[in-house]
Amino acid sequence: METIDTSFFTEERAGSFNTVGTSTERADARGHVTGRTQFYEDVSFPNTLHLKMVRSTKHHALIKKLDVAPAMKVPGVVRVLTWKDVPNNWYTILKLIGVGPDDEPVLAEDRVRFIGEQICAVLAETPQAAAEGAKRVKVVYEELPPVFDVEEAMTSKPFTNHGSNYYIYEGHNCRRIRFGDVETAFKQADHILECRYNSAPIEHAPTETTGCVVKPEGNGRYTIYSNTQALYFTLDNTALILGVQFNKLRMIGGTVGGGFGGKVDVIVEPIATLGAMLTNRPVKYAYSRAEEMQVSSPRAAERFYIKDGIMKDGRIFARKITLYVDAGAYCRHSTYGTTKAAAHMPGPYTIPNVHVDAYCVYTNRTPSSAMRGFGVTIADFALESQMDQIARLLKMDPIEFRLKNAYRDGDMKAHRKEVEGAALVEVLQAAAKQSGQKLSSEFLAMSSYGWGSANGKA
Amino acid sequence: MKGSVVSITLNGVERETLVAPGTTLLNLLREHQSLTGTRRGCDQGSCGSCTVLVDGKAKLACLIPVETIAGSRVETVENLALNNELHPLQQAFVEGFATQCGFCTSGMIMAAKGLLSVNPRPSRADVIRAISGNVCRCTGYESIVDAILAAAAGMGKPLKKSA
Amino acid sequence: MLQAVVTPTSLGDLRKALKLAPKATLVAGGTLVMPIINEGAHGISTLVSLSKLGIDAVSFKKGIATIGAAAPIAELARHSELKFLSAVIDSIGSPTLRNMATVGGNLFAYGDLAVCLVALDATAIVVNAKSKRSAPVEEIIKKGVKAGELVTHVSFAIPKPGTFKYAKASRRALNSASIVTVAAIIPLVKGMVADCRIALGGVAAKPVRAKSVEKLLNAKLFDEKTVRAAAAAAAKEIAPFTDAYASAWYRARVTPVHICRALLGDAAGKS
Repeated sequence: METIDTSFFTEERAGSFNTVGTSTERADARGHVTGRTQFYEDVSFPNTLHLKMVRSTKHHALIKKLDVAPAMKVPGVVRVLTWKDVPNNWYTILKLIGVGPDDEPVLAEDRVRFIGEQICAVLAETPQAAAEGAKRVKVVYEELPPVFDVEEAMTSKPFTNHGSNYYIYEGHNCRRIRFGDVETAFKQADHILECRYNSAPIEHAPTETTGCVVKPEGNGRYTIYSNTQALYFTLDNTALILGVQFNKLRMIGGTVGGGFGGKVDVIVEPIATLGAMLTNRPVKYAYSRAEEMQVSSPRAAERFYIKDGIMKDGRIFARKITLYVDAGAYCRHSTYGTTKAAAHMPGPYTIPNVHVDAYCVYTNRTPSSAMRGFGVTIADFALESQMDQIARLLKMDPIEFRLKNAYRDGDMKAHRKEVEGAALVEVLQAAAKQSGQKLSSEFLAMSSYGWGSANGKA
Repeated sequence: MKGSVVSITLNGVERETLVAPGTTLLNLLREHQSLTGTRRGCDQGSCGSCTVLVDGKAKLACLIPVETIAGSRVETVENLALNNELHPLQQAFVEGFATQCGFCTSGMIMAAKGLLSVNPRPSRADVIRAISGNVCRCTGYESIVDAILAAAAGMGKPLKKSA
Repeated sequence: MLQAVVTPTSLGDLRKALKLAPKATLVAGGTLVMPIINEGAHGISTLVSLSKLGIDAVSFKKGIATIGAAAPIAELARHSELKFLSAVIDSIGSPTLRNMATVGGNLFAYGDLAVCLVALDATAIVVNAKSKRSAPVEEIIKKGVKAGELVTHVSFAIPKPGTFKYAKASRRALNSASIVTVAAIIPLVKGMVADCRIALGGVAAKPVRAKSVEKLLNAKLFDEKTVRAAAAAAAKEIAPFTDAYASAWYRARVTPVHICRALLGDAAGKS
């Protein structure tokens, strides 16, 4: 195993650490190995009702008729919730931090926009009766043309309630970065390289499926046992949707059987809490494995166009990026992910001319949302693939090419923030060393502390 | 629909449970016997989170209608830490940081226990094969395999007690 | 919704149970039926379990292996006579799953073992309310069994050492569904192929015999050139499909490759 190299940034390591560098037992390890850790589904209450969701079987359709009567005839079915039961049916998760408009219904009203969208909730005495009831609900659809491609979606008919085909950022149709003048710079560049990069959605597939149990308490409050990764977001959104004061709800959670960003949306809690309110009984809403795979938000599919102007000596002189993030049918956290993607541009490199348009686009695919470094991970795939392509074009070593362009402390980033604490040069040098690659003295002399004369830039 | 009484020796004690037809062993453990250490991950036999020992063999509790195992011996993760002493497998998982979210841990430990009962000195390949039906979506497989090997090496002699 | 789970302990009891509930679903290891039950809204009202029927033994007589349909796949690994199947057993699910999944279940799920049974020219023993018959497994796979019939055992002659060949292509090394499965019996007489049988799985809805490949191999010198030429003929026998593991195009493309790997060894398919 490699030992940690502490020779860099020694002056920044002034703190006295008592725990870092020692081995300390995880606080939750004994609970995990003995099976005593309490996940949300490990609580159970008498008289619990089981919730089964009736879901859209169409990508995009009008709901012409919804008949819940056959479900009510199944022995054990107690109630079916439709959008008419939801006090404030329209919401968007990030409204708590001022994001709008409310583009997503808790339960579908006159139309559905993706396969698996929630239409109505069957509450029954047993999971079996709930499943049978859900199967018997009749939904009559009139299909509408679905849109699956982000660029087609830019010009297709906008969804109602969304207002536009893409999220509006402070009056702009995309998140923008404008730094220098890329068009003029392209004319001066020795080489131009433009490539397209595409990614598919990625499902987190947590081992524990999404779910919650909601229990009405004797004092008029509701306790929500949940595996959400975002307890307070969930509490606040649930209260807003149900039109109750925040202090009527209590969340118990924090123990998540795998989240990875897949459990930050607020989907199961509002409707289960509504069920508990309307029946005054505990309600459990747990995704099946199939539901987890089909409807829980994946990492967004992304499409990048990267156009670079490069000088013969290996410097990137201009970079223009157009990004389409596929939000799916509703924005959820994708607006934020797109902002993060824009903030990540143009990668950890000092480029004097940068132009970025990052669009958050609505399609008829499963709404995408958070997942481990969303907005950044796929951006790095695209940016670093592009870096390798350029190195190949210039017949340069890919590490040396990156060293030539790596940002240094004091550089101005495209977002007009000065770089501080950069370490890319040192990381690349260490990577070269560990992989047994010999760098020439020019590249070994480079440092994140500034360009200097040896750094290949006048 | 008529329920039936099913008798199973659960963690050494004979238990009679009145169940609805087709109740799975997983539901019997979790909902009738409050043994929630056995986890429900998929109800499809795909994730291994509900692995228990039935008559000594690792099986998936979500796929067993309890009527079909009447009279059997079932062992769950709750049976391992007797008298508050961790089982060597549990101890090795704790010391080897082989837990992350903890959801797959019970199933991993029971699959490993099933392996060690027939193969007390497994190779690394044997361990990987034995847990090939157990999904750890935190992807902590290396440390889990290390822990099982460490437990196998240490079985018979007490492992280092943690503080 | 399920109304009853019956666990008969004799064929007589089983017949009675099926008379009471002719539409009952049979269950043995549970790995195929229980996922459907657990999903709910399945329309199954009675499950009849084969687990206590006493059809889970493995026996050998005069070079013939007879295996109960309810024998767990893991059970096969306990018999030295079946050592030639160890790579097959290892390629089916996980050890935990193999403690549950049965030989009969794999046969009717058209799994990897079913492919081997076709290659081995196995015979199925089939019972109904009154009588007992036997039929080639290949025919059972093609035509299914009649209403009220149950496969209780399969039997086959243990192949001569070195004649059984097997290869399975899958996305992961362990516990992964088949992209292409190849099982074959290649008897050689003085280096010449004598009456071979080749079965393919994963490349059609059910396991298929690769008769055109067999034809091109029979009475020929068993060498790389012959095998490569013969393997290409497999395209005529398969009806590949697209699923989450591979496309129909990919399955068709790699089928000859895996036939070569099964017959000639790993290195053969690589060039």
